[in-house]
Amino acid sequence: MNSTNNVDFLKSLVEEKYKVNKTEVIDQYQISFEVEQVEVHRLLSELKLEGWKQLSYLSAIDWIDENEFEMVYIVFNWDRPVHVQIRTRIDRDKPVMNSIMPIFEGCKYYEREAHEMFGIKFPGNPDHEKQLVLEEWDDMPPLRKDFDPQAYSDRKFPVREYNNDFVELNGKKSKQKDRLKRAERIEQVGKRGNK
Amino acid sequence: MKKYRTVSLFNPFRLWKYLFKKPVSHDMEDIFTKKNREVLRKDTFLKLKPKRESSPRTAPANLRGFHTNDWDKCIGCGTCEDICPTKAIEMVERLDVPDKEGSFQVRPTIDYGRCCFCALCVDTCTTDSLNMSNEYIYASDDADNFKFLPQSTFLGEEVDMGWQKDEVSNLLDKERVKMDHVLPSDRKSSFVEVVKGYSKEYAMAEAARCVECGVCTSSCPVQMHIPAYIKSIWENDVEAGLRQIYETNPLPGVCGRVCTHNCETSCSIAVNGEAIAIRWLKRYIIDSAPTDMYEKMISQDVSEVIDAKVAVVGSGPAGLGAAYYLRLMGYNVDVYEEMALAGGVMRYGIPAYRLPDTSIDKDINFIKSIGVNILTNKRVGKDISMDQLEKDYDSVFLGTGFFKVRNLNIPGADHKDVIGAMDFLPQVRDFERGVLKLEDIDVAESVVVIGGGDVAFDVARSATRLQMLKYGKTDVKLTSLENEDALPASMDELIEGGEEGIEFFCGNGPQEVMQKNGKVTGLRLWKCLCVFDTAGRFNPEFDDECEQVIAGKQIYIAIGQAPDYDYLPESLSSKVKIERGKIKADDNGQVSDVPWLFVGGDILRGPDLISGVADGHRAAKAIDSYLYKQAKDKKSYKKVEEMREAAIHNTPGFTPKQQARK
Amino acid sequence: MRELKLFLGPQHPGMHGNASVHMFVEGDIIVRSYLLPGMLHRGFEKGMERHSWVNNLALIPRVCVVEPDINEMAYAMGAEKLAGIEVPERAHWIRMIILELARISIHMMAYGGLGSPTGNYTLMYHAHADRNSILDIFEQISGHRIYHQYIVPGGVRKDLPVGIEKDIHAFLDDLESRYTEYRDLGIENPTLVKRIKDTIMLPESVVWELGVTGVGMRSAVNKEYDIRKVMPYALYDQVEFEVPVSDYSDARCRVDIKLKEVVQSIGIIRQCLAKMPEGPVRVPMAQGQSMRWTLPKGHVYSVVESSRGEFGYYMVSNGGTHPYRIGVRGASYPQGLLGIEKYLPGTRIDDAALWVDTMGVCSPEIDR
Repeated sequence: MNSTNNVDFLKSLVEEKYKVNKTEVIDQYQISFEVEQVEVHRLLSELKLEGWKQLSYLSAIDWIDENEFEMVYIVFNWDRPVHVQIRTRIDRDKPVMNSIMPIFEGCKYYEREAHEMFGIKFPGNPDHEKQLVLEEWDDMPPLRKDFDPQAYSDRKFPVREYNNDFVELNGKKSKQKDRLKRAERIEQVGKRGNK
Repeated sequence: MKKYRTVSLFNPFRLWKYLFKKPVSHDMEDIFTKKNREVLRKDTFLKLKPKRESSPRTAPANLRGFHTNDWDKCIGCGTCEDICPTKAIEMVERLDVPDKEGSFQVRPTIDYGRCCFCALCVDTCTTDSLNMSNEYIYASDDADNFKFLPQSTFLGEEVDMGWQKDEVSNLLDKERVKMDHVLPSDRKSSFVEVVKGYSKEYAMAEAARCVECGVCTSSCPVQMHIPAYIKSIWENDVEAGLRQIYETNPLPGVCGRVCTHNCETSCSIAVNGEAIAIRWLKRYIIDSAPTDMYEKMISQDVSEVIDAKVAVVGSGPAGLGAAYYLRLMGYNVDVYEEMALAGGVMRYGIPAYRLPDTSIDKDINFIKSIGVNILTNKRVGKDISMDQLEKDYDSVFLGTGFFKVRNLNIPGADHKDVIGAMDFLPQVRDFERGVLKLEDIDVAESVVVIGGGDVAFDVARSATRLQMLKYGKTDVKLTSLENEDALPASMDELIEGGEEGIEFFCGNGPQEVMQKNGKVTGLRLWKCLCVFDTAGRFNPEFDDECEQVIAGKQIYIAIGQAPDYDYLPESLSSKVKIERGKIKADDNGQVSDVPWLFVGGDILRGPDLISGVADGHRAAKAIDSYLYKQAKDKKSYKKVEEMREAAIHNTPGFTPKQQARK
Repeated sequence: MRELKLFLGPQHPGMHGNASVHMFVEGDIIVRSYLLPGMLHRGFEKGMERHSWVNNLALIPRVCVVEPDINEMAYAMGAEKLAGIEVPERAHWIRMIILELARISIHMMAYGGLGSPTGNYTLMYHAHADRNSILDIFEQISGHRIYHQYIVPGGVRKDLPVGIEKDIHAFLDDLESRYTEYRDLGIENPTLVKRIKDTIMLPESVVWELGVTGVGMRSAVNKEYDIRKVMPYALYDQVEFEVPVSDYSDARCRVDIKLKEVVQSIGIIRQCLAKMPEGPVRVPMAQGQSMRWTLPKGHVYSVVESSRGEFGYYMVSNGGTHPYRIGVRGASYPQGLLGIEKYLPGTRIDDAALWVDTMGVCSPEIDR
């Protein structure tokens, strides 16, 4: 079977039975579906039965402006090579997504990582709250968009001042400060309208 | 269980044969070069061979080793600092390098504790001055010694080049987005604007080429916030761009079309490619900004704040510049204009195919809308006297420009068919507005234009259009002292003029207007050997052996304009010093013996429109500091205070070029 | 018997990179184990969000130290898919040469890596010396030995240097001539075979359960499950090569497949060099200067076949100059984490290092 048919097959398979908010055919080897949260498990099981039995990737995206997380599941079928992205939006304030461990056991660590990086809870995954790579982490989950690594590191680690010995003023007055001040002002002018 | 093929236990012993082969690896002590040896000598376990025995491994020609920077080429644009993914590059101030237009007195330093040797800085260098050597070893036992100021040598030694930028690895966009022009055949017979302007997509694509270095800003006489408004275009935020522009320039619609664009000459991209189309991008903002966006910009009434009145004589770029900023600072401003329409040289000098009335109107209407009174058809010295102005106003600004024809002293130049540019161009503008009819303008079938500046081209190209309309064919010849590659006019004029069929006789000096039966028949030319003498003064030298006569029934003279100080009364002209046509005043235009009198534009400094605006702005600040203390009534609103502060803060300094001229 | 806790790594000659296997042992049998990553450079994905598309070129190869090119390729392919640009043909061939050279180099490293837990150091030295010769070639092409930053969105960063074909051919011929020696020294050496055959089994059911890909999968399921064959990227559909497979996956079999892949890679590179046309090697990724490159909005997942299996970048653009999110699918994620937790127990302590080596566990792509 050629690969264009695979995409068509998937499209009709998924769109017929499930409420799909948006379908996007990226190329002949990739298709994405945006579905509701409740549909994800049923859809993944069906895809697994159809041969998409490898979980390639599982993660999340933080859409902070919309106050939502987007879960991404990518499954793959080696005999009918199409990567299927299943995406769904979940609430950012109380991020809970039932684990897909009963369908793809390999998701165990992916979910654990998603919990660590985004703070999403995965009921059904016994280990999802254990720390994985971040030993003794004491801040918000770091892949959230509102986590500022610069501020974190400034708080955690001593800041070292660097002198630059190469400045040569040649007995004249430095112009650098004026230039910086001016640049700052110009930036303000641009922003004024967006108040 | 699976069966596997195995070999004899002794089979691997064949590898003994490699015992006598030359190893593929390099000895540690071999690879260190002389300059790093001193550090390593301290390590007792590494006994270094003397230099002659040391054979450092030669790195390949592509190696991304330590940087070198050619200071003669480097302009300190700081693009390397911006792109550095590890923030290893810091620009440091070096006031020992010359302060030139189109460069900053800064040079990059590189912290090799952070540098990841990705060479993005090399690939994005605007001048190709930053390169990488194939030197890859440096050792020091002091952690602070890893910050370098790259120069053309590495640690004082000549080094071989490693990674260098080529056309493939280049990260800049050197080609300008194409601008649509009206075809020569179409534009020749009308005064429709030649340059069509960018669409939104094109403008955004052009804006995306800018590296935000800002070397353009210092070469702009009004120091416009060029990178900032280009960035706004790229971000598709026209309103922010408009605000940025009006901080420093009240005539952006005009400048977006006819400015001499020193900024583009100094653009860092122009070092190795085509400059960003800064002028056209500015024009894009003005053309695409709707009127209500202007209203949003200055919403509050600014009138009647400071109890002081200023008169501005002349509504050219300098006059309007002064009026606009004085108004922003809260003064009552009246502008006196002798002609029927405000705008001066913009209205009556530059032809409409370069600067249509609509765009002048847009700029001037905004200046009017904030409360500047423009009184047209009022010539100072005739309709109102200077003494009257002195009496009625607290301060007077003169921006009367050079509007008189400068004559050519050659035999036959007093003929009536020898016409001055400034007599001809206003007629052309009035024809285009419908004030004059085609019959009213006397253009012969064949004309010769003398001059190599923008004005000469304006005359020649206007004459072409009029000839087309009148006779259906053109015959315009242009002669100038300078050769084609050294014309004072912009390159665009030369190209577009050529496209429109103008014949060039550049590099020749006019000697005599040829006449027959009382009618002009042509112009006798001598080859011009050089325009300036060794001292740099204007003193052309001719080769009389190399003579030619070019035919033409009219001669137009566009060799520069002269001021007209008739309006100055006796009482003033005795106090005002005039040197080579220009009024002597301090940097801000304040006339030394007449403290209430300020001047700007051509009669102070020249030579172009945008410098006039800058003079106006500087004079406005000077007038403010002259009047503000004395003014009795100073109402203060926060918004007005802000605007006042901005107007004062944004007063331009001098560009390196202007500084050199002083 | 008393249960003891032992660590394999992060400082251990048999451990690949800075991770640690925590093992609870009874006698010399592992009863429980898990991998502790997080001792490496953390926060790549966060870092990528904070760098512009062009600045990420300096960051992405660092996700996997020993095999940087797959990162560059996956990133470039994703960006090209988002931007909708076509790469010039010559660039495709150059990319394939780079990728296959990298495959040889990492397979040699893995093969040499087999030497350290088994005590066969000659093997390790030889394999590393050959890997070094490949690094010399990389240095000539890209300017650096390890972090090449050579495959970029839109093509490659510079054209191949003049005369590099000769060096590549010379290296390939040399490696090929010593191929039998390598086999004799390693997987056909009776002492080593005794040690690695029939141990560390990977049955097909486990492959599907964990989601193992690459050599591990092909050694167990006996099918040509190779991204290069199944969904060819670059111009892999225009070269001829075989995908070695097996239905019995023990440690020796997987190493055997790696060695056979080296032979195939040599063939691919020769075909690339023969077929490669002259021409442009790069198109700009987007309009303007590089710091203002933007990519259209979208989500794409781009995959390449790495030495350890399916290696992918999940890239999200919101239309800005910076990626909105980049997720890295490390090929060794399933076997490295869940595999060690579930299937390492039951083996002996001294097999743990072999397990990590032959399964292909690369800690930087887990801790990213």
